[in-house]
Amino acid sequence: MASFEKISIKNLTKSFSDTNGKRNLIFEKVSFELHSGAVLRLSGASGSGKTTFMNVMSGLIQPDSGSVLFGNIDITNLSEGKKDRFRAENIGYIFQTFNLLSPFSVIENVYAPLAFAGKLSKDYKENALESLKKVEMDEFAAKMPYHLSVGQKQRVAVARVLFADPPLIFADEPTASLDRKSSELVKNTLLELNKKGTTLVLTSHDSIFDDIRPDVDFNLETGVLS
Amino acid sequence: MKYIFILKAVLHSISHRKFSVFTSIFAISAAFAFLAAIGCVSFGLAATAVNSSLAFPLVVGPAGASDTTLVMSTLFNTDKPAGTLDYEFAGKLASDERVSAVFPVARSDSYMGVPITGVESAYINEISKGFWDIDPMIDAKDIFGGKNSDCAVIGAKAAMRYDLSVWDTFFGSHGTVSDEDAHVHDFKYKVCAILKPLNGPEDFAIFTSLKSVWEIHGHGHHHHHHEDAEDEEHDHGHHEAEHEEHEHHHEAEHEEHGHHEAEHEEHGHHHEHEHADAEEHASEGKITAVLVKTKNPVFTAALEREYSENGFTSATDTGRTVRKLMSYMNKAEEAAGFFSYGTLFLVMILVFVTILTSINERKREMALMRTLGIGKLPVSLMIFLEMFFISVSGIVIGTVGGHLLLAFFKPALDFELGINLEPFFFTGIEIRGMLYTIITGVLLSLAAMGKIYKMNLVDEIAKE
Repeated sequence: MASFEKISIKNLTKSFSDTNGKRNLIFEKVSFELHSGAVLRLSGASGSGKTTFMNVMSGLIQPDSGSVLFGNIDITNLSEGKKDRFRAENIGYIFQTFNLLSPFSVIENVYAPLAFAGKLSKDYKENALESLKKVEMDEFAAKMPYHLSVGQKQRVAVARVLFADPPLIFADEPTASLDRKSSELVKNTLLELNKKGTTLVLTSHDSIFDDIRPDVDFNLETGVLS
Repeated sequence: MKYIFILKAVLHSISHRKFSVFTSIFAISAAFAFLAAIGCVSFGLAATAVNSSLAFPLVVGPAGASDTTLVMSTLFNTDKPAGTLDYEFAGKLASDERVSAVFPVARSDSYMGVPITGVESAYINEISKGFWDIDPMIDAKDIFGGKNSDCAVIGAKAAMRYDLSVWDTFFGSHGTVSDEDAHVHDFKYKVCAILKPLNGPEDFAIFTSLKSVWEIHGHGHHHHHHEDAEDEEHDHGHHEAEHEEHEHHHEAEHEEHGHHEAEHEEHGHHHEHEHADAEEHASEGKITAVLVKTKNPVFTAALEREYSENGFTSATDTGRTVRKLMSYMNKAEEAAGFFSYGTLFLVMILVFVTILTSINERKREMALMRTLGIGKLPVSLMIFLEMFFISVSGIVIGTVGGHLLLAFFKPALDFELGINLEPFFFTGIEIRGMLYTIITGVLLSLAAMGKIYKMNLVDEIAKE
């Protein structure tokens, strides 16, 4: 796992223009720091901008102003190619749905991001299989994604995160479409990784995460940071 | 590893759009098969024309015949002669000191659509590259000499097509067999020799002696061939294979046909026909043209001028006329090529549109790739390769398939078109087609890549 001591969000502002040209402010001059291994909880109603904040943090969307520093690296100043590589090496994603790439098998989905980044280790296949075993998906290693249920796909996305072992994980409603057992598995895996020092950025309406005490709670609906 | 993943993604996308990919590849292939056919047929025509024009630099025919008619009715056997000349004229021409040899020809009838031309033995000696088979009783150097005036020398491809071999006999038809008014002459030809292939129109021709042509047209050895049930029994179109029994049967029939002839005479048909014969076929002592070998090209030009301006004959420089015909052919080839390129361009646009549609269908997947850190370049490279795969597959399948089809149909095409097709000859029209398609494919692929570069894929993820 690569690491950076802290993530610094400095005066981050993002707005979108609607079809009438009216500027809608999503968040304005947000600043906070996250130390390695911290948990950031993004809350607020649907459409309040939680995913947009994640996308700005990960460099997928450019902010109107402000910076996102991973250690000394300001992701907002990196080129497209460097941002891609940075994401592949440092950020793991788990989405509510649509987590897997349909052209690749389950095991290939686990190691695809690092393969594209040219960062695969020698024993990558064994490691990928090990990651799948942890989420009880090793039997499905050779299957294509269309053979899997939503819950199984979610577990493969978790295995992908386990395999890459990134210093930062974005989990965007990771248990929204899952049954209790799968939700527990996802939650426990995320907490386990967090305990090992992985920084976690989480959005969820699932009560299963209620017992987690975030280091920073940012409500995008009210703009309150606590 | 990265490139294996890219290829996997490309193959996956192709396998999920089988129908549109198959249609696109098929359309490109069809255009390339057509280009292969245009190229090979044009080349075959040109090669045949050049082969023929080299042998006889000058053709002299009756007054009023155009350059094209003179060449087409003699060297290519495809046009009707414009009239007749006296045989003595050939002797006069031969005595000209600028002439090295003359070959009088008399266009006669046809057998199953294959033209029969009356010639002298010297002509056969001139064009022949040896015989596939020859009657051992015949002198190969004087094939029509002695009592061999009923001898027929068959071109290689005509012999193959109609399974004619030495000692077979057949009757010629006036006109083609498909003509309703076709009739059959009761002059029986005997196959004496089969020529080795010459890669020219001679391969599709039958040669007989001038004497036999004069005998047929001078004595009216013919009767109408009606397309009714009765005449089915008298079908002389088929050769007799050397069965004596069969020959007797025909002889009996010919007597029967004598009645037909009498009836026709009564109705004036016969008279009309005699008149037509005089126009298109050589009657006693008449020929339809003289093929001339000159001592040098300057003499060819002088003789052409003299025999075109004397008011009794027409003459043409074969090389020049063939070049003129070829320039028309080239224009036809260019026009056909232009339409093929146009079709190809439209097909490529169609491929481009289907690729754009597939990009829209795969937006979310591409967005996920970008989110996972898979760069814009690999993602857009997948689209580039997809279009490239379709274009190249179309080119390869169309070109290979087109040439294989030409090779498969070569015997039929050779005969129908009267050419010697080279099925595996690659022409400029195909190579230009390949270049245009690849260039168009690359440009359109780059345009598709550009679309992905500009696309805000993150919006797709945000839609979740």
